[in-house]
Amino acid sequence: MQTSSINRRNFIKISSLAGGGLVLGFLLPGKGMAAPSESGDFLQPNAYLKIDKTGKITVFVGRQEIGQGVNTALPMIVAEELDADWKNVTAEILPYSTNPIPGYKPDGGGIYDTGGSQSIMTDYTELRRVGAAARLMLITAAANKWKVQPAQCITENGFVINTLTKARLPYSALVGDAAILPIPKDVVLKQPKDFKIIGKPAKKTNLKDILTGRAKYGIDVKVPGMVFASVERCPVLDGKLTSVDDSACKQVSGFIKTVTFESSGVPMHLHAGVAVIATTIWSAMKARKLLKITWDEGANNKQSTDDLFKTFAAKANDKPVKEVYKKGDVTNTAANTLELVFAEPFLAHGTIEPMNFIADVRPGFCELWGGLQLPDWTVQIISAEVGLKPEQIKTNLTLSGGGFGRRLHFDFALEAVRISKQIAKPVKVIWDRTDDVRNDVYRPASLHAMKASWDNNGKLQTWQHHKVQTSIEVMTEGPDTKSPPDMLGGAGSDLWYDIPNVYTGYTHVDFNLNRGWVRAVELCVNVFPVESFIDEIARKLNKDPLQYRLSLLEGRAAFETEGSKLHLDPQRVANALKLAAEKISYHEPRKKNHYIGVATHFFSFARSYAAHAVEIEMTGAKKFTIKKIVSTIDCGIIINLDGLMNQMEGGTVFALSQALMSEITVTNSRVDQDGFYTYQVARMPDIPPIEVYTIPSAEEPGGIGEASLPTLAPALCNALAAAGERPVRLPLSKDGWSWG
Amino acid sequence: MPSYSFNVNNKPHTVDVDEDMPLLWVLRDILNLTGTKFGCGVASCGACTVLMNNQAVRSCQVQIQTCGNAKVTTIEGLSEDGSHPVQKAWEKMSVPQCGYCQSGQMMNVVGLLKAHPKPTNEQIENMMAGNLCRCGTYQRIKQAIHLVIEETAKG
Ligand code: FES
Ligand code: FES
Repeated sequence: MQTSSINRRNFIKISSLAGGGLVLGFLLPGKGMAAPSESGDFLQPNAYLKIDKTGKITVFVGRQEIGQGVNTALPMIVAEELDADWKNVTAEILPYSTNPIPGYKPDGGGIYDTGGSQSIMTDYTELRRVGAAARLMLITAAANKWKVQPAQCITENGFVINTLTKARLPYSALVGDAAILPIPKDVVLKQPKDFKIIGKPAKKTNLKDILTGRAKYGIDVKVPGMVFASVERCPVLDGKLTSVDDSACKQVSGFIKTVTFESSGVPMHLHAGVAVIATTIWSAMKARKLLKITWDEGANNKQSTDDLFKTFAAKANDKPVKEVYKKGDVTNTAANTLELVFAEPFLAHGTIEPMNFIADVRPGFCELWGGLQLPDWTVQIISAEVGLKPEQIKTNLTLSGGGFGRRLHFDFALEAVRISKQIAKPVKVIWDRTDDVRNDVYRPASLHAMKASWDNNGKLQTWQHHKVQTSIEVMTEGPDTKSPPDMLGGAGSDLWYDIPNVYTGYTHVDFNLNRGWVRAVELCVNVFPVESFIDEIARKLNKDPLQYRLSLLEGRAAFETEGSKLHLDPQRVANALKLAAEKISYHEPRKKNHYIGVATHFFSFARSYAAHAVEIEMTGAKKFTIKKIVSTIDCGIIINLDGLMNQMEGGTVFALSQALMSEITVTNSRVDQDGFYTYQVARMPDIPPIEVYTIPSAEEPGGIGEASLPTLAPALCNALAAAGERPVRLPLSKDGWSWG
Repeated sequence: MPSYSFNVNNKPHTVDVDEDMPLLWVLRDILNLTGTKFGCGVASCGACTVLMNNQAVRSCQVQIQTCGNAKVTTIEGLSEDGSHPVQKAWEKMSVPQCGYCQSGQMMNVVGLLKAHPKPTNEQIENMMAGNLCRCGTYQRIKQAIHLVIEETAKG
């Protein structure tokens, strides 16, 4: 399998640059590049926007909707500059093409890539230009009609208005004339103070479809002639099939046949599998239970997470294999020292829609249906698999019942392709929940050895962070990966606190379990020890943890991080924290047995800043109730206020599962958990009141889809530390904590 | 293959399927009512919730042979146009994110309110604990349930 030049690390880097404005202009083709509507029935200046004669405005969304709301926020950006009546705006999935936009072909990621909370950040300026260009064409069409200068016309809520005569024409009446005009190259964008749509709360564009059951997700798609497959996979990642006996399957009505496929390596690791093909998914699932299979599990079939954490602990005492960031000299430790070790488990995604995919592979032909967060990379790898050029593969993207990074990976798509190829029919592969929990790409387990020292005046002098984990990049790129280790989130040069001597390093440990990107990835993994450790230092110094943090942020100027070249403003880190403290009444007297913990961070994937404050009541030994969670965010300009609130609440809940109860463990190289009874996640009774507050800002918009995850666990653990015992290991349930 | 007749969304249907086929797959794959979702198949998520004779059930756990001549209501049958009070409350509170769990959530609430027209907070939490929302919209679901109760009280 070839290694892709595209990986998410590059994708994040490249699109961060794009956010800085280096690829401006890619969405707007020059004159003649978009096909103007010959009939004049509609105006479609580019692939992203279409206005028809009924006044219906369709924005084609080129990012995967996974619940994060791109199908509303991105159209809002276009509608704003178009001065559209929001009521007339609908969103559709931009039909996938291997090269949809002339002139846009970044080498670090595809146009449809959806990850790192970066859709808004990357598309903001371009989508404004899309709206503004169409608006100018409509104005020009009206001005020609009225025989006045375009400058004498304004737009408002879907109308062009002649300022001399007060005459008004709806956009619907102008699309025919506008469609034959040249597409303007230069457009003037609005001043943010004039925004009417951006910044307001908007309902999801497909809300009605969701509420009536009409929304179509990947699992709902039907293709003529389609059969179904349920797959029995080798429980060990790199095992092989020795033998399969499917004779008993024949007694199941609807059973067609079985086909097999081997495991695969970089970039998408499939477990070897036996696919049971049938006319319904129920028949396939039933027949699958009757398979008799023997696997050759290979040499790596005795590994366990218990042993892995022992290895982690041993390695943590060694020097890091990779030095990540060095400032000053940490070998000169000051008089007082503190060491703490933090541990975090493997985690699954647990999207509510289990993995599924449809592939139709025949000689010289391939068509795909499903939700994909990185379709360009997927198509590139599948094209090699089926021996077709990427442009010969037709990809139909669908809604997804959750993403959380799971669909950045496309092992499930590759499986469907391998199965369809053998039966020359369209096949829908559906994973059941056990398949989904046992064959995920897990967030890596990790251990963090933290060391700090301060002088006798209480001034923090040194800070060391050694992270030992099972690398993601080794899975997606192979053992020789040159990608930087997962050290964003304060574990590298992006540590927001001002400490004179810093050393951070990384050690990878091999483990036979697939790994990947789970929502907020290393930011969650690293902010937990960073924000717990700084809190513990404050406690040891007998200082208030909030004030202590602020003292380490105070006066620190904005800076550019090394390597990743991110702009980090410590004052915005401080402001998110201060707002969280204020809203949880940090400075008010507390009720008996009530404790508050805080944590803050720079959300480096997409230039936002977010914090949490958590209030708990201790109700017994190791027993607590979460009374309230405050979540704050500074993401620059806000696009959809309601979408943002929902994401911040939901991200907090997602992180709460991880803090309290979620854990993947491994015995004999197989995952122990088999579904939502054993891989536990938060349910309604686990959820305390969550309040979200935003910080007004005129900065360019950042991302929010993952911003509220990283600080929840440390804020909760800091509250528990305030009550007397600091948790150093997640999930809390593992060490006997209980809540309710 | 045996044949089963039952009523879905006020329409009679006859299906020829294996007797142990779960109602979930009958609805989704035979009757093309894909608003009812598969999330686990083992009663752990609630995504497949429908009403059977006005009671919320997990359709992944109901074999077609046990349906008798039951009256089944799915999200598609809750209203033609999203005008059922529960759908309206969901709309007003902007509950969904990915939306995948929401038909199960709403059907469960309809069942809950049929059983307990004025549920206590505890009853709400207990009866909704079987419906997972991985996007984490629980707070909005709770608010929407309270809204339905208020609106119904107003008449
Ligand atoms: S699919 Fe029935 S409860 Fe999950
Ligand atoms: S809205 Fe996505 S799982 Fe509930």
